[in-house]
Amino acid sequence: MNLLLCRLRVEDNFILRLLLLISKAKLNRLPIVFIIFLCSISVSVVNATEIVVNQSVPHYSSSLNQTRAIFTMRQQFWPNGEKIKVFTLEDNHPAHQHFTKNNLHMFPHQLRRVWDRIVFSGAGQVPTTLDSEDEMLEKIANTPNSIGYLSNEPENEKIRLFISQ
Amino acid sequence: MKKFDYLFLSKLLPFICGLLMSVQVQAGFWPDELKVHGFLTQSLFHTSDNNVYGNSDDGISPGLTEIGLNLSYQPFDRLTLSAQGLYRRAGKVDGGIVRLDYGVADLNLFNTQNGRIGIRGGRIKVPFGLYNETRDVAFTNPTILLPQGIYFDRSRSLLTSADGGSFYADYNTQYGDFSFKFNLGMPLGDNEEIRSAILGPRVSGQFEATPAFATQINYEINGGEYIFAVSYMDLELEYSPSDNEIISAGSTTIRPLLFSAQYNGEHFGLTAEYQYRWNNYKDYGVISNLSFVTESWYVQSSYRFFSWLQGIVRYDQISTNIDDRGGKIGVANGLPQHLSYAKDWMVGLRWDITSSWMLRTEYHRIHGTAWLAQADNQDNSKTRQDWDLYALQLSYRF
Repeated sequence: MNLLLCRLRVEDNFILRLLLLISKAKLNRLPIVFIIFLCSISVSVVNATEIVVNQSVPHYSSSLNQTRAIFTMRQQFWPNGEKIKVFTLEDNHPAHQHFTKNNLHMFPHQLRRVWDRIVFSGAGQVPTTLDSEDEMLEKIANTPNSIGYLSNEPENEKIRLFISQ
Repeated sequence: MKKFDYLFLSKLLPFICGLLMSVQVQAGFWPDELKVHGFLTQSLFHTSDNNVYGNSDDGISPGLTEIGLNLSYQPFDRLTLSAQGLYRRAGKVDGGIVRLDYGVADLNLFNTQNGRIGIRGGRIKVPFGLYNETRDVAFTNPTILLPQGIYFDRSRSLLTSADGGSFYADYNTQYGDFSFKFNLGMPLGDNEEIRSAILGPRVSGQFEATPAFATQINYEINGGEYIFAVSYMDLELEYSPSDNEIISAGSTTIRPLLFSAQYNGEHFGLTAEYQYRWNNYKDYGVISNLSFVTESWYVQSSYRFFSWLQGIVRYDQISTNIDDRGGKIGVANGLPQHLSYAKDWMVGLRWDITSSWMLRTEYHRIHGTAWLAQADNQDNSKTRQDWDLYALQLSYRF
């Protein structure tokens, strides 16, 4: 039941964003206000996710394709030569779905395809899957050179936002 | 031996799987550098005529079981060791043994923000088309039966893995990601299905593979929203006739060139692959030296109604010899004409119950018998040209 609700939320979110797109196409003001109201509701369901790293990770600005390469395991080392440790949540976790679409501009099934090919053809290792955002927060804080994502900006001195454009 | 197989299957394998899974669950005990994954798949088949994976004709055959377990370990940052054991039982073609599917040492030589170069050694999966490297893992395949015109099941052992080395390079740009692979190794195949696929059902000698290469260039846009790939292989098989055969010790070369294209949208997916394969036969004595081209292609479309429910439609066809699409040469040699081609329409539905469990079903309407396994259909003259295939599959992964 819980699972079904998550799915519905994600589908809703998609419809709302579609509405927002339509609103950008210069409709009159009333629907825009209405749509913004609706979107604010959807944001309260799943907050915008942010990519976060352990404080040990070097400061630099990563391009979108470089960030994608980190999560698809094509880029395995930070600019300072340290090995990257990647953490993710389950495929159907709302934060994972939000992160894949909004931070990587991909779909969860695309990431799944890439990871499955690596695991089942002996081409290396894939991210460690965690159960919850609490666990993600704890892992990123305590694992040097780690990267992951959270739907709330962390208030933890060992974690900072990762700059990805 | 039979008793051992039975014991292994019924007791040992579930025990090992259970043990590994329970160990994996105890976080902390397992070092982060060591990862374990696996899958179990059982498929059921029913056909109106002809047999697939056992006696499916007018019955239901549970003849396809696939169980895999893999481990990967990173002793150093640049070195990954990984291996996968595969148990596979496929009708009368494959009686069910455990093999090493891959056993690879992967060494990363060079790494930047935009790419990497590395080498692999050991038993390596063969890159070919979109699905070959993970062809036995149900979750990674679009359908229960992969398009058989390209991903033959009967002569699969030539394509699964090879013992040797591989070079790979990736380059990531804002316009898309490029990958290149070059494998050189000894293919594993020498079984009766390959012999029958190459020389027909009536010979009894042995085929042996010689070192072969396989290469692939891959270009992906938007993290795999659009995928384009070209794959090429060069295989040579040498034949040793048995004592009472009149056929000489000849050789066959097979050189497939495969073009692949795929679109992966949020809901809609479209895939097409086209294979052009050069075949050469020489020095068989009674068979004159000959060259012919095999052509196969398919177009497949999928739609995700929800993230957990997907529908799929595909048309797949193969012509064993493009100069003889109607099968007249086969008829002249006493074989049914429909052995030279197959045209397969299929529809299917996939339900991802959870991220670990998947159930799916499909229906095929097939015209021709080019990819039917000889072991499941001993008498060619009894095969039918037009037939239906129904399949159901349950798969678990971790």
